[in-house]
Amino acid sequence: MATDEQLILEFQKGSREAFGELFLRYRELIYAFFRRRLKDTARAEELAQETFVAILRGIQRYEPRATFRMYLFGIAYKILANDRRKLDQNSGGAGSGFDLPDPSAPGHTETGMWVREAIAKLDGNDREVLLLREYEELSYEEIAGVLRVPVNTVRSRLFRARLALKEILVSVPGRSVRKENALNSSI
Amino acid sequence: MRSTHPFEQAEVMAYLDGEISADRASEIAQHMQQCAECEELAAGFRDLSRELSAWEIETSPERLTNEMNAEFAAAARMQPKQTPSAPVKLTPIERWIAPIHSLRGRPWVWAGAGAFAIALLVVAAVAVPNFLRARPAALVAAREMELRELQKRLVQQQVASSLENNQADERYSVSVDDKSAVATVPSPPAPGTPASTAPMIARTASLSLVVKDFAGVEAAVKAVVSRHSGYIGELNTSTPSDAAKTLSATLRVPSAQLEPALAELKQLGRADQESQAGEEVTKQYVDLAARLKNSRATEERLLGVLRNNTGKVKDVLEVENEISRVRGEIEEMEADQRALQARIDFATITLSVTEEYKASLNGAPSSTGTRLHNAFVTGYHSVVENIIGLLAWLLESGPTLLLWVALLFFPIRWAWKRVRRALTTVRKPVAAQV
Repeated sequence: MATDEQLILEFQKGSREAFGELFLRYRELIYAFFRRRLKDTARAEELAQETFVAILRGIQRYEPRATFRMYLFGIAYKILANDRRKLDQNSGGAGSGFDLPDPSAPGHTETGMWVREAIAKLDGNDREVLLLREYEELSYEEIAGVLRVPVNTVRSRLFRARLALKEILVSVPGRSVRKENALNSSI
Repeated sequence: MRSTHPFEQAEVMAYLDGEISADRASEIAQHMQQCAECEELAAGFRDLSRELSAWEIETSPERLTNEMNAEFAAAARMQPKQTPSAPVKLTPIERWIAPIHSLRGRPWVWAGAGAFAIALLVVAAVAVPNFLRARPAALVAAREMELRELQKRLVQQQVASSLENNQADERYSVSVDDKSAVATVPSPPAPGTPASTAPMIARTASLSLVVKDFAGVEAAVKAVVSRHSGYIGELNTSTPSDAAKTLSATLRVPSAQLEPALAELKQLGRADQESQAGEEVTKQYVDLAARLKNSRATEERLLGVLRNNTGKVKDVLEVENEISRVRGEIEEMEADQRALQARIDFATITLSVTEEYKASLNGAPSSTGTRLHNAFVTGYHSVVENIIGLLAWLLESGPTLLLWVALLFFPIRWAWKRVRRALTTVRKPVAAQV
């Protein structure tokens, strides 16, 4: 199976199939990336599309300097940051930078809402590192590349986020039952 | 934790994430087998990751795929597919443009090129007017030089012709004297009148000497002057007890003797400063000679009038008055001519001799108060001078500095951001697998 890096280079040379393969590989990951960070499903979909369009349009500028994952999530993170900035400007700086989802919203099918709520209580910088590690499964180096911070900072933020999250989750009432449910569902 | 465990907690976490070197990982694994506390910490991290996996996201809507297909189709329409295997034939113009086109996606190259172009424009804007100004200035200087050369040649020609005229006049006046037996004394030929057309130069030299032994200097200077048939114009000697003794003198030696006289004077001590100058007085001399000639002719005519006059006493007196006025002028001009001739014949040496002064220890040292006061005053002057100097420098260079700061601020800030970003980003080059 061709690696992501081989595919993107093939796409750069004009292979439509290579881009189709990359889109299939990362469609869900990119969509989930935005869904975990935004309240609005439609906005998440829109930004996911924007990310792939950016790859599509900027393919001539692509240089194989880092892993494709880092390149892709770097673009996604930049698009998210721009969107948050616009939202902050429109709301007069009142934006939180991390939207809590509305469980009653139509089409809402998220699970593990207590985890979501606990994550929402984390510091913004720590939370981003945690999300990129736990859900996007990026390496420390890739996270450092996406967030443009040193690797050691990534490690210390991740450690801090995990300790804080443990503390928060311990204090959640009825968590043990949920934990068992989570374990059962994962099995 | 660090005091009882050989690892930090964060290292245990990195070990679980597979983000640690193999050596370190095996050490941590061994330690964890024996350390219940670390094992518990690791279990906590594993539980947390498991718990986090409970947050799941629904699959992406089908619409996303459809929209991307549409986008891709649109992009493909706009940019026709290129097969890399098919060699594209480029025209010479396209081949020339190709490298520029390949820089399309590199804004830093454009930014750098832009900054360079702006700098080049500024340099050109400053340098071109100066260059244009310099060219006419150079042309004017060349013209002036040509004119000076021309004037010099003309003056030499005038000197030659005036000398010939003088000789002819003398001959003529002698013949007139013979015929009319007028008791006019022909003016003696000016001493040292140049027989050739060489320019007339009044030479001056200035010499500063430092001597170890001041005692015999005055006598030595006089000896040198007399040896070279010169004379002393002025001589002052100052011999203070608590300072260096000095001698200043203005010496006149025949122009031809200037060099040997200077050489001898220099042997008296160490030459501290020496300079020579030559003033060309040809034009002055020729003017004076011509005016003198005219005045003599006028005098001649007036004398003729007086001789033949048989009229009233009043008229006779008027002619006599006029003769005496012209005579006065002639004498004045003759004196000037002699002075000028003396300047040409005798070079002037301005000599200054100073004794190599060794300060004696006799002088009473200044009091501490005086010294402190003097130091304070010196310090104050130094501060004021520095402040004024700094302000002057700012006023002089400030606008230029501001211009450069304004021009380079954004490119440098932009470049710095890129460098910083490059430092923080771990670049992992992908192996050329294709």
